[in-house]
Amino acid sequence: MLTWVLHRLTGLGVLLFVSVHIVAAFFLNALGDEISTTITRWYESRPVQVVVYFCVLYHAFNGLRVLLEDFYPPLLRYHRELIWLQWAVFVPVFGLPAYFMVTGLLFGGA
Amino acid sequence: MTLRGVGRGGSLEYYLWLFTRLSAILMLFAGAAGIVYANLFGRMLMDAPTQYRWAFFPIYWHVQNSDVPDVFPVWSNAFWRVCCAILVSVAMLHGFNGLRVVADDYLRHPLLQVLARGGLALLYLFVCGAGIVVIFEWF
Repeated sequence: MLTWVLHRLTGLGVLLFVSVHIVAAFFLNALGDEISTTITRWYESRPVQVVVYFCVLYHAFNGLRVLLEDFYPPLLRYHRELIWLQWAVFVPVFGLPAYFMVTGLLFGGA
Repeated sequence: MTLRGVGRGGSLEYYLWLFTRLSAILMLFAGAAGIVYANLFGRMLMDAPTQYRWAFFPIYWHVQNSDVPDVFPVWSNAFWRVCCAILVSVAMLHGFNGLRVVADDYLRHPLLQVLARGGLALLYLFVCGAGIVVIFEWF
């Protein structure tokens, strides 16, 4: 249930980010107006980058697990173990870069 | 998220279900390939947004600050722009179809469902069009 809710929320997050990014880039290049600059600054800010990283990474790992289970159903016997494995991979792969992003090493703008 | 309620055998719902999986495979491979390539050939430690750009949207003027050699001449050609446009269209269809599935879960009234689908289709076309304009620099 938690994985399902998180998959939805992170999917919506990714969709929101990518759509806003594309539309803002379009208006920034076409018009160069103040609003697109503000939006671009918002999604390049540090907290948004960490949240986007969480969304993309969680959605990718969870989607990969769902894919494997859907196309190779015998794996469903190990559903719980796979979810634990997914968290075991996700936590370091998200946590380390997120830590560096928060402390500023991997953070960058435009 | 499994085949619950989708039903095999030629329905549109089934093909969209399949499309979600196949486009996911495409995006996973594209993302992994982009990040591996950038980190193998880049000259410096890349920040997080640069890695995002490499993972999904290889627009040549989008990735030049990652300092990976030969990006500018190679990725400005028509082939990579078409690849990029296809990737954006497929990714946005994956996303908006997902949003359609979420909306269908919450909207019970058939009229609202139709309106939501129509609105999402228009939004999809607009975002895709904006992305393609940005990729090909048709300003």
